[in-house]
This record gives sequence, C-alpha cells and structure tokens, in this order.
Amino acid sequence: MTLSRITTKADLQDYLHAAMQLEHATIPPYLTALYSIHPGTNSDAFHVIRVVAVEEMLHLTLAANMLNAVGGEPDMTRAGFVPRYPAYLPDGEADFEVSLERFSPTAIGTFLKIERPAQAPSEEMRVLRRPKPRAAIPAVHPDGDDGLHFWSIGEFYAEIARGIQHLHDQGVDLFTGDPSRQVTPELYYSGGGEVIPVKDLASALAAVELISEQGEGLTGSIYDEEGELSHYFRFQQLTLGRYYQAGDVANSPTGPALEVDWDAVYPLLTNATITDFPAGSEVRAAAEAFNAGYAEFLSLVNQAFTGQPDLLIPAVGEMFALRDQVGRLVRNPAPGRPGVNAAPTFDMPETTR
Amino acid sequence: MPSSAPVDADTIYDAVIVGSGVSGSLVANELSKQGFHVLVLEAGPGEDQTIRGYEKYLSRFYEATSKDNNSPYPANPNASMPRSPAVHSLAAGQPDSSSYLVQNGPFPLDSTYTRTLGGTTMHWEGKALRMLPEDFETRSRYGQGLDWPISYDELAPHYRRAERELGVSADVQDQAELGIPFEPGYVFPMQGLPASYLDQAVAAGIDGTGVRLDGEDYHLKVRAFPQARNGIPNAAYDGGKGYVPVGAVSTHQVEQGERCQGNNNCVPLCPVQAKYHAGKTLAKALAGTVGKVDLRTQAVASRVHVDHVTGRVSHLEYKAYADPGSPEHTTHTVRARLFVLAANAVETPRLMLASGLPSSSALMGRNLMDHAYLLTWGLMPGPVGTMRGTVCTSGISDLRGGAFRHGQAAFAADIHNDGWGWAGGTPEVQVLDLVDSMNAFGPDLRRGAVDRISRQLLLAWMVELMPDPSNRITVDGRYKDALGNLKPVLSYNIADYTLAGVAQARSLSRRLFQRLGVEDHTDYRPTDVGYVSYQGEGYVIRGGNHWSGTHVMGTTPANSVVDADQRSWDHENLFLVGSGSMPSIGTSNTTLTLAALCLKSAEQMVRQLRDETSAVELATTTGSAQA
Amino acid sequence: MSAQTRLEPFLAFSSRVTAFTVFELQGTGQAAAYLETVVGVVGEALLGDLLSIDEAIQREADGDAAVRDRLLRARIFSDERLGPVARHIIKLWYLGTWYALPKDWHEVFGSVEDDVTFVVSAAAYAEGLVWPAIGANPPGAKGPGYGTWAMPPKIPAF
Ligand SMILES: Cc1cc2nc3c(=O)[nH]c(=O)nc-3n(C[C@H](O)[C@H](O)[C@H](O)COP(=O)(O)OP(=O)(O)OC[C@H]3O[C@@H](n4cnc5c(N)ncnc54)[C@H](O)[C@@H]3O)c2cc1C
Ligand code: SF4
Repeated sequence: MTLSRITTKADLQDYLHAAMQLEHATIPPYLTALYSIHPGTNSDAFHVIRVVAVEEMLHLTLAANMLNAVGGEPDMTRAGFVPRYPAYLPDGEADFEVSLERFSPTAIGTFLKIERPAQAPSEEMRVLRRPKPRAAIPAVHPDGDDGLHFWSIGEFYAEIARGIQHLHDQGVDLFTGDPSRQVTPELYYSGGGEVIPVKDLASALAAVELISEQGEGLTGSIYDEEGELSHYFRFQQLTLGRYYQAGDVANSPTGPALEVDWDAVYPLLTNATITDFPAGSEVRAAAEAFNAGYAEFLSLVNQAFTGQPDLLIPAVGEMFALRDQVGRLVRNPAPGRPGVNAAPTFDMPETTR
Repeated sequence: MPSSAPVDADTIYDAVIVGSGVSGSLVANELSKQGFHVLVLEAGPGEDQTIRGYEKYLSRFYEATSKDNNSPYPANPNASMPRSPAVHSLAAGQPDSSSYLVQNGPFPLDSTYTRTLGGTTMHWEGKALRMLPEDFETRSRYGQGLDWPISYDELAPHYRRAERELGVSADVQDQAELGIPFEPGYVFPMQGLPASYLDQAVAAGIDGTGVRLDGEDYHLKVRAFPQARNGIPNAAYDGGKGYVPVGAVSTHQVEQGERCQGNNNCVPLCPVQAKYHAGKTLAKALAGTVGKVDLRTQAVASRVHVDHVTGRVSHLEYKAYADPGSPEHTTHTVRARLFVLAANAVETPRLMLASGLPSSSALMGRNLMDHAYLLTWGLMPGPVGTMRGTVCTSGISDLRGGAFRHGQAAFAADIHNDGWGWAGGTPEVQVLDLVDSMNAFGPDLRRGAVDRISRQLLLAWMVELMPDPSNRITVDGRYKDALGNLKPVLSYNIADYTLAGVAQARSLSRRLFQRLGVEDHTDYRPTDVGYVSYQGEGYVIRGGNHWSGTHVMGTTPANSVVDADQRSWDHENLFLVGSGSMPSIGTSNTTLTLAALCLKSAEQMVRQLRDETSAVELATTTGSAQA
Repeated sequence: MSAQTRLEPFLAFSSRVTAFTVFELQGTGQAAAYLETVVGVVGEALLGDLLSIDEAIQREADGDAAVRDRLLRARIFSDERLGPVARHIIKLWYLGTWYALPKDWHEVFGSVEDDVTFVVSAAAYAEGLVWPAIGANPPGAKGPGYGTWAMPPKIPAF
C-alpha cells in the first residue's frame, strides 16, 4: 500500500488500518510454520514461534485499540485484509515476500526479516520509494505509487509515533474514540505482555513502544523493557542453535544449546491456494471449511474490536478449534502430489471469487 | 531457576526449609523478601526447571498406560511417594508393606502426594476454599473435634494474602452466602470461572432442593468453587489496582500460563501452567534479590538433631543422591538459626519420629485427618458435554455448616466435569466395553461413545473427618526405603460420625438423581478397596489427599505439637508448617488454609530471626560441637 | 506389499470400523505408526488376510451398509484369528493404545514376543478419536480455550 507522512488524523487512521493489516499478515505464516512441526518434537522451536505468534495477536489488539482511540473503525472483514501469499508486508517493505510455508531455515530467514531491527543499513533506505510490487496488498488509498515504504516494522511504527506526537502538538483532538471499545488487560493477557488500553497521548505512545520493543528490542539491546527477548533475537536463537541469557549481547548467545530438527516437519505445499486441491476431495472440503472458519474467526474478533470486547474470550476458543483443523490438514497428503502435504490456504471468500 | 547449589557445610543459614511444596516455597519467599539467607532442601528431582523438563512430565503422562494422579512423575525409590493403584484391601491385622506407604489399617487409604520440586501442587486440582468460621471451633460449638488456637478472623488477613499468592478466581458474593465473612469491598484476584454446561444442567434440575437436617432446613444451590487457576483478572481487585496473573515459570522466556484453557487435566498436571503450582512461588523466591535462596534438590532430610541442653535444633542431616535409580548417596549436615519442616503432613511427622522426636505431647503423627470421599455416579438424560472444562467447576456447598454437626459430619459435593474417571469409568473403559462386550463398531461405536461418556455425571461427596489420636503416622524399624530412611506407617479408620455423613450424602444423592432423571450407576462392591458397611448399607470411601492434623496446633505443650504460629513447643527454633498443624479441616480442601498459616508463621519467623541475634553464636557452637 | 500400498486398504478398513473418514484418520498423523504397530505385533500375513477379506466384503456388499456390516461380523469380527485383531485396530484409533492380545489367542495363533499393552506415542494419546467423537479434547492436550466448557458440547455429526 502507499502511505504518505502523517499530517492529518485521517492519515494516522490509515496508518493504523495498515498496522492492523500488518500485524495480522504475519500471523498466518507463523501459524503455518508452527503447526507444520510434528507434535512432540522441536519443543524449543515450537515455543519460540508460538510466543511470537501470540505476541503478534497482542500487537493486532494494540493496533485496534489505537485505531479505536482515534475514532477509527477497525475492519478485518473487508476484501483484501488477508493478503494472498506470497505477499509483501503492508508497511511497504519491498525487498522480501512472506510465504505460507513449513518450518524450515527459509521460513526462519523470512521471519528474521519480518522482525528485523528498525535501523536501516543506510538513511536512504530508511524510507524508500518503490515501484508497486507484484501481489502487493491492496491499498487503503486507491491512488498511485508515490507513497512511502518502510525498511522495517520498527520504522513504520516510528512514523506512527512521530505522527501521533506531531498531531498532538498541532492541537488536533485525537482521542475521540469510544473508550468502551478498548480491549483491557482483563480480556487479554499472556505471559508476554499486557494489552494497553489507549486513551491519551501517553498510552498511545506506550502501545507503539510495546509493539516495536517486542519486535526488535529496546534500542541497542536484545531485550525489551520487561526484560523480554525481542522477536528478532528469539528467532535468531533457532539459527544459532543456542539460547540467549541475561547479559548476552546481540549475535552471541551464551545460554543453553537448543536443538532443531528440521526434518520433524510435515512437507506442506508452500503458498497453497484452494484450487491446488481437487474439487470434491476431502482435503478440498477441509481446506474450505478451514477458510470459512478463519473468516468467521476474523469477523468475531472484529466484533470484539468494534464494541463487544467480551467476544475475545470465545474468539480464543474458535482459534483453538482452527488450530485442530490445521493439524488435520497438514497431516494429509495433498491429493495428486506425492510427498507433499495439504496446508491451510487462508483464502478468504472474496479472494477466491 | 538456577540448578541445585552445592551446600557449603560451613555456612550457617538463617533458615533451612525442608520441602519445596507450597508450604516451603511460601516460607522461603517471605524470608528471602526480608533479606534472609535460606536453604531449601528438596527430596525429589527438579526436572521441571525448564519448560522442556515440564514437557517431559507431560509426555510421561501421555504415554502412561495407567494415568493415575502420580503418572507424570518418575518412580524414585530414593524419595518415594504413595500411588493410588498400589493400595489394596487389607486383611485384618496384616499390614501391607508392599509399597512406600505401609498400610496398617484397618482402613486402606488411597490418598497420595508428590515428592518432586514444587511438591503436591504439581498435581493438585486447585480448589482454593476458605474454611468456615465455625470450622475453627467445632469443639466448643458442636462438641466434636478440636478448637483452633486462632479464630477465622485472625486468619482472614492471611487468607487474603494467600489468595493473592495462589491467584484465586472466585465470586465473593457466592462465597459470602455460605457464611464466610469478607472485608467490605473485597473481591478475589480473578473473576469466578464460568460454570460448565454440565453444572448448568445440574443446577437447572436441583437448585432450590430442600434438605432437612437435625430440624433445620437448608436449600441447595449449585455454585462455583474458588480456584487457584488463571481466569479473568478482577479490575476492582486491591482497591482498583487490579491483578496480574502469574504465568508459567521457566528459564528461557517461553511464556505460557495464560488463562485456563479447559484442558481437563488439572490433576495430574496442567499442561499450560494456568493452575497455580508452588514452582511459581519458588521461582520468585529464587529470583529475589533482597535475601538469598539456595535450592538443593535430590536431598532427603534424614534426621533432625536437637541440643538436649537448650532444646534447640542444632543441625539437620540429609542424604544426597545423584541418580534416582541408584541408592548410592552421601550424607551431609546443615546448620541454621531456624529450621522449618514443610515436607507435608505425612513426611514431616515421619522425619520427626525417625529422629526420635515424638513431641512431649506424644501427639507427633497422631490426629491424622483426610476427607472421606463418597462417589455417586449416573447418566444424565441427554448429552451434557462431560469431559470438558477444568476437573470441577461447581458443586454443592450449602451443607458445609450447621447445627447438625453435633451428630454427623458436614459434607459438600463436587460436580466432576471429568465424568466417572474417579470411579473407574473413564472414556477408555467405556470404549473397551463397547468394542469388546457390546460388539459395537462404526456408527454404533461413535454413538455409543457419546451416549456413555457425554452424559456422565459424577458427584464426589467430601465428608469431614474429626481428629482422632489413633489415626496416625508412625515409623517402624522394619520398614525402610532405598536410602535407609524409615518409611511412613499409616493407621487409619473412619468413625461413625463421618459414616453418618456418608450415609446422608448417599441418600441425598439418590434424591438429586431422582430430580434430574439420572440413571443411577453407583455401585459399591465388597471387593472394592475402601469398602465399608454402615447400618446395613455398603459404601466405598476414597481418600481425599488432604493429609492433615499430624503435628496439631493448640494452646499448650500438652495438648499440641505446635503453637498458633506453627512453632514447635519443644524446640523454639523449629517450625513444622503445613496442613499437619490443622486441628480440623471441615469441608474445605486444605491448601489455601495451610498457605494462610504459612504466611502467618513467616511473620513470626522474621520476628524471631530479627530478635534472636545471640542465637547465631548458640547455633554455631552447639552445631560444631555435634558435627 | 509395501507399507505404502498397504496403507490405503488399512485406512479404508479403519474408516469403516471407526466411522471416521480417511481424511480424519490421516489427520491424526498416526496412520503409519498404527499400521507399523499392527504389523509389528501380528505380522504381515495376518493383516494382509484381514484386509483382503475386507476388500472382498466391500465388493460383495456393493454399497449396502447392512450387508456390509453383517459380512464384517461374520467374516472378521467373529473370526477367532482376525476378530481380536480387528477390535484392537478400532481401539488403536480410538485410544492410541495397543492392548496386548488375549492369552488364548496367543495359544492358538502363536505367541508374539512384543505383545504388551502400550501407548503408541505421546502424540497418539492426544489423537485418540474418542475425543472428537464426543466433542471434547483429550485431557491434558489441545485445550479448547477459556470458558468453552460453559457452552453446549459440539458433538460432530458423521
Ligand atoms: C490429587 C490431589 C488433588 C488435590 N487437590 C487439592 C485441591 O483441589 N485443593 C486443595 O486445597 N488441596 C488439594 N490437594 C492437596 C494439596 O496438594 C496439598 O495440600 C498441598 O500440596 C500440600 O503442600 P505442602 O507444601 O504442605 O506439601 P507437599 O506439596 O507435599 O510438599 C512437600 C515437599 O517436601 C518434599 N519432601 C518430603 N520429604 C522430604 C524430605 N525428607 N526431605 C526433603 N524434602 C522432602 C517433597 O518432595 C515435597 O516436594 C490435592 C492433593 C492431591 C494429591
Ligand atoms: S483445565 Fe486445563 S488449563 Fe485449566 S487449569 Fe486445568 S489443566 Fe490447566
């Protein structure tokens, strides 16, 4: 999508829509990799990916809180909200695509790019202009390709923080949303951080900070303020084969060794789409049922984000049911493709039509 | 968590704590918060210090063909534990010494506990009930049992702290209706857990049922139990500050331990650590920076040494083993200013008696109590989704107190979301029967499974038991474990007072089943372990795992082993903590109360450690003289 | 017959006697492990016999479920050699456990060294079909989420 620098409240809302889309866009790839792992194996990797995925859901919730706080209307059911994979990330990181694929060194390589530290290698690369990429996520703005693209999720959120501060300094009345739409910590918690209800400048900036820190760490540190290892370094542990521990510096973990068994993984079809499975087959029916379930799940979460926060609790139940459906898919051979297994396709109804 | 630290023989600790269960962990954490240097000795292994270790428990459970409540925990002859499948019916006058806990009879008790890091809370169910005020004075009110040296009101502030530490989810209004006073405005750390669909079906059928006992009328209402498992935090908790649930503990930031996910496996092991276990408190204690906590696992305390001049404990002996599979061990001595035995209500008196310290009251090991459980089971008229949710969300608590306790035991009932499992009618048993005896396959089998499992209702009636000095833990030189430690010997019987409650529970169960249209499948056979007959009818009674009373607290050295602070009357620097101190247990699972007691005792320990500066020297000289 | 070619008839038979589709059976991820378990205990020949009789029954019944069930009972479930094994295959799928065959079976059909009761694997326990059959999760695995227990059970139609 294309984004300009934030100069109006409407710009900010666009960014926050993009933020929700961005946070969501990472979830199907993480879940696909996660559930491609043979149950009972790769415990270290499983937990690393799981924690990150859970925190992405937290980030999605935080983005919704921010959007609601500034009077926007989250909409995760609109056409194009769920990207067609492989996809570029919606913050415009144009140098890599994200795929739905099994747990593998390639997948972890992509995850490292998703979570890469904010600082671009050079100032010019920080905010770049780029040609409209193939399979880019449909834009919020229907216009051309003169927008800004970010080197990293961190840079993208830095712009949001800058925009919020800027609008606030300009005296724009930002926090006009209905406070009862905020998701509060009672409804959402995990070991990895608490949801922040957004109601003013301070809480909005705190929410942005939490997202970026969990992703990439406190500037100059591999840990965030809570002493939690950032996503980037969590994933890096899998490639380096060793855990970080307190006191470690970037790239040199000294904790216990960690084992990865790249073979204890189901051989999923990469970036499967529904038409990869023959009509009439059980696999096709199950993949369609999963997609319908996922659409329903998104719609339930969206209702939670648009006035009925309590619905997050049953939404978690729905998510667990989807997890079991994915489990069945990935263990079934893909019909007519020897040696390859089926996979969830995350085609939403409107993208299949 | 750091791994086991070697113990420095020259260190004089402020306190040595035996046992890393909830009792020991709470005390360790409180003392360390006040800046003291503490050593925790744990007999069992410390496998679950990492998530991977925790998962090993889980897969051991998955892979076990017998899924009894100690199945996740490896057999360990060096620090053995009772297992319910090892309990057999007893022949009159013949002790059964075939397993760790020697059963002297006449009644065989199938209660268990766990000897591993974190203790029995690793597999407890997590009900966290306060006792009723009247439970503290059963002797003066009802002429039964023993009064406590403290009242409910004195314990109430400690209950509040225990509810915070254990993370209790409950609805305060619901509990207050039972006659439990709470301070104005109090709410539990987390909201009550939703009642299961099964609970709702039972409630729809029985709420309002009238029961007349000893001339008084009671009306039943299905209500949720307070539970030490993560639910939805109460925003109003702590004057509006809210509550932050405690997740899983591990070394590598693999956060888990969110809200309870309804794994239906709280016993024997919660896979996501939504349920409280002592490791959570222990992790805090170990991470604390004010004081210092050292932990030594695979270290079995074997003897308490007393200086016979001062009466103080001078040092403690323990046996350390490297390999649970081998009895090879080394014997060590530790010294401290204060000694805290928190090894549970069987192991603490066992250790004292094995050390030749029966208490001047001669009550060490006596007054053993546990709840007597009567199970009744049947099939609801239609599928109610049994086997979902926590093991138990709700039950009947209206008969926990009342004037009828003059003549018969109080009782309560749990509605078991896990169906007939406890009575032996697990889903596995149903499937085997369908396939092998009913010759069902295909669609008949699937329908049969729904019909026989999803309709299951099991009520577990918890009946109170009063202290009786002849119910006891002893030791006997003939019975030793692999390390040469004396094994606990249990003598246990169930009095008519309790049996009257059991009979009452059975007849009430019949009425409730009649109201619900439940097919009653309850079946007690004379060959079942725990079979008793009372007034012409037979019952099967099971253990409640609430071992207590064995180092009872009281008002004088003559009527008790410990005082109201759980300090030994005989040895002023020795505390025996845990449910062993409780003079009565009413119809309340014991852990919240023992946690409150431990928090109370820790305050006294802190005072004592601060006051007794001279004791350091005393401990040093007597210690080295004997070492 | 290779393991791969045996898998298909094994799944077909299993699907009929468990009332779960082949997709659902594959979805447990246990198909290969169960096949291996059965072959490991009773041997290729016995399983081969069982599966070819099953195939003959299918041809004969020609889609008539009542005929099929009658033939399954007559030729497999009541067969002294095949019946206990067929029942054990059902139990494998429903419970993830292989149960030791009855003693008299061993006396007649030859004793097998490794025939003890065992849970095939930790994963097999969690994949027992009795749990989806009743709309519940296996205790200790696949938690369904906070509060789901308050809702009516979702017992899948089949
Ligand atoms: C199946 C089951 C379900 C339960 N459910 C509930 C419930 O729902 N609600 C409730 O309130 N209570 C419940 N309980 C009871 C509860 O678990 C106990 O009350 C509680 O765990 C006791 O804690 P503790 O620390 O005093 O003793 P433990 O947890 O038993 O800890 C004692 C520790 O000391 C160690 N130890 C023992 N001997 C020695 C030695 N010689 N040297 C060194 N260390 C030693 C042990 O290894 C152990 O770690 C249940 C118990 C069981 C078995
Ligand atoms: S129901 Fe499950 S998640 Fe909840 S406490 Fe019990 S075992 Fe843990």
